[in-house]
Amino acid sequence: MWRAVASALVVAVLAGPLAATEPPSQHDVEESLTCQCGCGLTVHSCNHLNCSSAEPMKREIAERIARGETKEQILAAFAERYGEKVLSSPTLRGFNWLAWITPFAVVLLGGVALGLAIGRRVRRGGGPSAQPQVAAETSDPGLRERLARELEAFDRER
Amino acid sequence: MVELGRLAVCLALLLSGVAVGASVLGARLRRPDLVRSGRHAAYAVFALVALATVILLRALLTRDFSLEYVAAYASSTLPTYYALAALWGGQQGSLLWWTFLLTLFAALVQLQNRDRNAALMPWVTATLMTIASFFLGLVVFLTDPFERLPVPALEGADLNPLLQNYWMLIHPPSLYLGYVGASVPFAFAIAALCTGRLGDQWIRTTRRWALFTWFFLTLGNLFGAMWAYEVLGWGGYWAWDPVENAAFMPWLVSTAYLHSVMIQEKKDMLRVWNMVLVLLTFLLTIFGTFLTRSGVISSVHSFTQSGLGPYFVGFLLFTLVVTAGLVAYRLPELRTPGTIESFLSRESAFLFNNLVLVGIAFAVFWGTIFPVISEAVRGVKITVGPPFFNRVNAPLGIALLFLMGIGPVIAWRRATPRNLWRAFAWPTAAALAAGGVLLAAGIPAGLAWLTFVGGVFSLGTVVQEFWRGMRARQAMLQESAPRALVRLVDKNRRRYGGYLIHVGVIAIFVGIAASSAFRLEVQQSLAQGEEVSIGRYRLRYEGIDGWEDGHVSVLHAIIGVSVGERRIGTLEPEKRFYKKPKQPTTEIAKRSTLREDLYLVLGAYDPDTQRITLLAYVNPLVTWIWLGGLVMALGTAVAVWPAASERSARVTVPGGVRVGAE
Repeated sequence: MWRAVASALVVAVLAGPLAATEPPSQHDVEESLTCQCGCGLTVHSCNHLNCSSAEPMKREIAERIARGETKEQILAAFAERYGEKVLSSPTLRGFNWLAWITPFAVVLLGGVALGLAIGRRVRRGGGPSAQPQVAAETSDPGLRERLARELEAFDRER
Repeated sequence: MVELGRLAVCLALLLSGVAVGASVLGARLRRPDLVRSGRHAAYAVFALVALATVILLRALLTRDFSLEYVAAYASSTLPTYYALAALWGGQQGSLLWWTFLLTLFAALVQLQNRDRNAALMPWVTATLMTIASFFLGLVVFLTDPFERLPVPALEGADLNPLLQNYWMLIHPPSLYLGYVGASVPFAFAIAALCTGRLGDQWIRTTRRWALFTWFFLTLGNLFGAMWAYEVLGWGGYWAWDPVENAAFMPWLVSTAYLHSVMIQEKKDMLRVWNMVLVLLTFLLTIFGTFLTRSGVISSVHSFTQSGLGPYFVGFLLFTLVVTAGLVAYRLPELRTPGTIESFLSRESAFLFNNLVLVGIAFAVFWGTIFPVISEAVRGVKITVGPPFFNRVNAPLGIALLFLMGIGPVIAWRRATPRNLWRAFAWPTAAALAAGGVLLAAGIPAGLAWLTFVGGVFSLGTVVQEFWRGMRARQAMLQESAPRALVRLVDKNRRRYGGYLIHVGVIAIFVGIAASSAFRLEVQQSLAQGEEVSIGRYRLRYEGIDGWEDGHVSVLHAIIGVSVGERRIGTLEPEKRFYKKPKQPTTEIAKRSTLREDLYLVLGAYDPDTQRITLLAYVNPLVTWIWLGGLVMALGTAVAVWPAASERSARVTVPGGVRVGAE
């Protein structure tokens, strides 16, 4: 179940950047570009008013959107000029793909490993045989049920 | 005086080496006298470092500009409390401050364990003093805080204006306490590995230290967020800056540890895993320091950048090799035969919680270092910015939120259908109802919606636990409701303190989701008398005013705030111009309510036309984040406060020996 949830999440997350909306929003494009003034924030959230980098970039984005360019075209134009570092998150192509996929792959693999480990222990140690000796030796269902009930109560108290 | 400080750190370095040698030899040769020498050396190291710290503080407070450090980070017009904060405002001072805290903790640990843990303590001393030697080595050989200028300066260059904020007195110390505190559980873990005493003795001894570390990391992160929110003026509180990440990662891993350790205490499982988490927390604090100091990754925190990077890498590798070696050596003994009976059990819920927490830590780590990897592999500089971290961590965070509702109430060992129904029927119903109501209220079914639903679910399980516990006491002991509640918490402080912490975390989740998803913003150029609207607010630019002193000149706009026709107040966002170094900063103005923050930034001001550019944000539920922090602090206080039985035990047992009442 967890694996299914996790893979659904990966798909949901990766589908975001893949599905570009038709007319790009100014906000979205500004968030996809990094301000070059050194603030380390996106063009949209650069905290320098009249920033010599963010302001012209915002104007240019608006012009390009008005000209009918897609988000991809706009980002490509900026990447052409400033290099790939102007994009605020890695692209989904080539080597950069690793940036996106690795965290989920690690969690997913960890989940699978954990699931297998728990599964092994459940098979090895679980079931009636894992109950204290008394339980294994007695076949009285009433006694066994009482033991289970008391163990449960004991767990709850702790 | 200053020469005395220099002498003190040199001696401290020497003695920290002595402490390591004597402790290790004493433990190996079973010579209590050597062990005692090691301990005394550790006390002496603390005394010497404290002396050096006091001397540097005195130089800062008296503005002794013959010292390079003082001339670089203070000035005669700098207010006294910032002169105090300049101790951690620069490289040399902050390393001395780090060493001070470390040696202080080492001394406290010695005091605490005078009569306990005799087998572990020499190794604890040796570990802490090895770390101290590293930092003292940096202080003595590479970044001497007591360096004199050839010619004393007439005036200092002053503390960076961005740091001249009251948060400077709060945020760095909290974070340092958390960062340095992580050394203590680490030292005990190493001691356990060295001695082969791998049971839960070391874990019980360091339980409060681990909680202390975690608590101050929590505060440090939250205070950093508040500071960024109030000072940086971009309307947000977290930018996934490498140094923010550096503070966040150890928090995540130590949170995982605080949970998984419960399984070890109860079932003696997960010894290896807990060991790894403790070791990793410490390694991440060193990695974080490396990030701040090295300049390898560009960051807004580059206040203390220097060429120390390689030394930190060296120390990091050394620690990694030693710890990995020790764990590998003890691996056969660390393996435990514990069993898990079912996927539907608290054990496995905790394990998945650990997976997600460590997974988030890994995602943050990966995003932080990916630019370096990319440059090394492809030779291309790329940026891994906030959009990446938000996108990757949001689903993981939401999974965690749901797990937080499951972990505390699902049965140990094996959950029966009856148990599941009893534990989750109400919370699930509440979550579904809340989800429906939110949809009907027009909240789109997105990540924020899912977070709210998860929050209601997790809160539901916690409230149910309090409610049932209280009702049970009322029924069995005929206590009044408030008394039953108080007694309930007091009987099991750790558990109910933990629940309170969860409530705080839920509030933070909700605050983050709401303020990220439903934030409004507007930027507008205004002439005097003009208005701009945002959300339900109307903002009217009523005038501009200013004042100045020798230190700073301040310009503030007067903005009248109305909701509909009703005027609710005035906000005065500022621009400040510090005189040295000449640098403008913004001081935001905000009006916070439980519902939302109205957050104003004064942008450009044209003195000829008197026009201003006003930046306004409406950030919903941001206050919930800070309140959530407060609740977390309260919960931690409840959890660490000795239980009633422990309090009385301490009084009755002679000799002040503590009786564990955990």
